[in-house]
Amino acid sequence: MINTIEKTYDNITNTNNGYKITYDNGVTSYVPLDEANTDYQAVQEWIAAGNTVIDNPPN
Amino acid sequence: MALSKVDLANQVENQLPQNLVANNLPFRNILINGDMSIAQRGTSTSGVTSPGYYACDRWRVGFDTAGTWTISQDADVPTGQGFAKSLKMECTTANASLSANSAFIFTQRLEGQNLQYLKKGTSSAESLTASFWVKSNKTGTYILMLDDIDNSRSFSKSYTINSADTWEKKTLTFAGDTTGTLDNDNARSFDVRWWFVAGTTYSSGTLNTSWNSNTNANLAVGQVNLADSTSNYINITGVQLEAGTTASDFEFLPFDTQLQRCQRYYESNYQYGTAPAEGSSYLNVTFYSGLIAYVTTSTRLIHYYKVLKRTKPTLTFYNVTGLGAGTTTGRWQYYTSGWIETPAAATTGESRVDSICIDIGGGGYSIGSGYICAGGLAANAEL
Repeated sequence: MINTIEKTYDNITNTNNGYKITYDNGVTSYVPLDEANTDYQAVQEWIAAGNTVIDNPPN
Repeated sequence: MALSKVDLANQVENQLPQNLVANNLPFRNILINGDMSIAQRGTSTSGVTSPGYYACDRWRVGFDTAGTWTISQDADVPTGQGFAKSLKMECTTANASLSANSAFIFTQRLEGQNLQYLKKGTSSAESLTASFWVKSNKTGTYILMLDDIDNSRSFSKSYTINSADTWEKKTLTFAGDTTGTLDNDNARSFDVRWWFVAGTTYSSGTLNTSWNSNTNANLAVGQVNLADSTSNYINITGVQLEAGTTASDFEFLPFDTQLQRCQRYYESNYQYGTAPAEGSSYLNVTFYSGLIAYVTTSTRLIHYYKVLKRTKPTLTFYNVTGLGAGTTTGRWQYYTSGWIETPAAATTGESRVDSICIDIGGGGYSIGSGYICAGGLAANAEL
């Protein structure tokens, strides 16, 4: 089960390049911005269900 | 004497080597890892209650209140058939009183672009024949279902496990579907599903024995409850799905070919035989050199996948042991004047289907200098 989702940013370009998912069991995965990726699809469903993505863009 | 008639079909067939004769064509098996020979994620997982990929590659289990299971790559195989492995699913916590939505489904999901030759949705649609070996203590009726994800259509057939604890070969042929074409892309278009548990939501109607739009109540009518006892198990191997109305011999592929087919969907930087996990020795993972620091706090690593991925994959990072630095979950180690644990888990830069750029944070880097690092990763592009 997904615990939290946070936007990730490329350290060089400072652009959003995906999501960091933390699951209830502590496992963390990095999901690219790719509609064919099934974890990306799960992120969109999680957002559509009313959950909030953490967003801490680099300064 | 001149020939008055030439049997061209036989002339051609007779000139083909044995492994190319009709009904023995290479890559005729639509399913990948049907002999359960590949297991990159590890060979056994216990306490399974949620959907996912366990043990043998490409085979997904789906659960909803259907007990607890151990899923493993097993050495129990039908005698004399050439198989070395099967996939075993053992019930460790039973559910004898199913909920309406209870389900346990064993599935392989398929890309539409690999199935265009089936001509689904046309008047020339090919029939499909499934064949597999199965063994269980639980006799009775089971359901195999073909599921057209693109068009929400399905076709279910029942088969019977007749004798307990005995390997049996099952063959089922499904007529072609003249309705609903499959998308010609890399997305999930078609599932092959073995039901092992089905609550009334999926079993209270009449079994759907031809291609039709999905009606949940008709999908798995008659399915026994394989989760009703902790004595229950099922083994399966030699799984093949092919175009046509007859089942050919199982198509054995070389290990390396089968592994590469699986790695389109999942691979890791661990040597084969070691499952990606926290706390594995650094000797089990790829050791990286030549990382160039672009700031004093970070270097970048380009990791090339062994096989082109189906899509940009999801990355999971793992620590390694044996280098002397810390072993915090998800953190790698890099070397400056000694081994140092990264201050946070590795993060990703540019992601592609052939490679991933990984940012190795740290400190004390000298811009433009090269460094070495070690850590585990798994790349998942499953359907």
